[in-house]
Amino acid sequence: MTTATTVRLHKALYLPAAIQQAAEDFKDFAKFHVELDGDHHVVTLTDPDPEADGDIAAEFCNFALAHTAARKRRKPG
Amino acid sequence: MTSPELEHFDPAKGQMTLSLDAGLYPIEVLYGAAFVLLDRAYVLLDRDGEEGRNSRYLVHLRAKSPLDEAGLRALAGEFGNELLTQALRRLIVKQNGNLIEDITTRALAGAAGGSAPVDFLEDDDGLDFLDDPLGIAVPWEEKYPKKGGGNP
Repeated sequence: MTTATTVRLHKALYLPAAIQQAAEDFKDFAKFHVELDGDHHVVTLTDPDPEADGDIAAEFCNFALAHTAARKRRKPG
Repeated sequence: MTSPELEHFDPAKGQMTLSLDAGLYPIEVLYGAAFVLLDRAYVLLDRDGEEGRNSRYLVHLRAKSPLDEAGLRALAGEFGNELLTQALRRLIVKQNGNLIEDITTRALAGAAGGSAPVDFLEDDDGLDFLDDPLGIAVPWEEKYPKKGGGNP
């Protein structure tokens, strides 16, 4: 049975490129699928690594936020 | 600026939700404050309402390590303080941006080595380096020949 976790990231607050970069960072720990639903990017995590330590979805969100902040800092607006 | 409001508080799960007026806090301030907490908490940002005056940012925080109620409230307070710090920092950079840029430019120019003065470079009188209008290169014997002619 496949475990799926979904997180919703507001498109005004998270950059698509930052979400992709975070997904790339965590590709060894889960599979990521991103789609747009209204005002949110909906990220679905499947097949999480059972031996991974910590909350993969929550860490993924932190990374997406950090990458967004860094990219906005380099290129404001 | 008003402080963030506590929308949801669950000490048992170590999580809470804060909300703040999107019209009062620039997005860069929100990013800056959230960034500071990333090593201690899971942060998820969201927005309630359409972009505009009545819009509010929602900040979902969950501590990475177990925290009691006081610890969780302290985390919320720290986030509020960090919002003010980031806002002040942004204001200072905005006010002194030109001055900071000017000082940095001068420092870099000084480190790169000085250039020749502009008026020196423009001082071109059309002379070649072999020209000798003052006769400085003329040997003394030629300039002042002996009147008697022969050797002593």
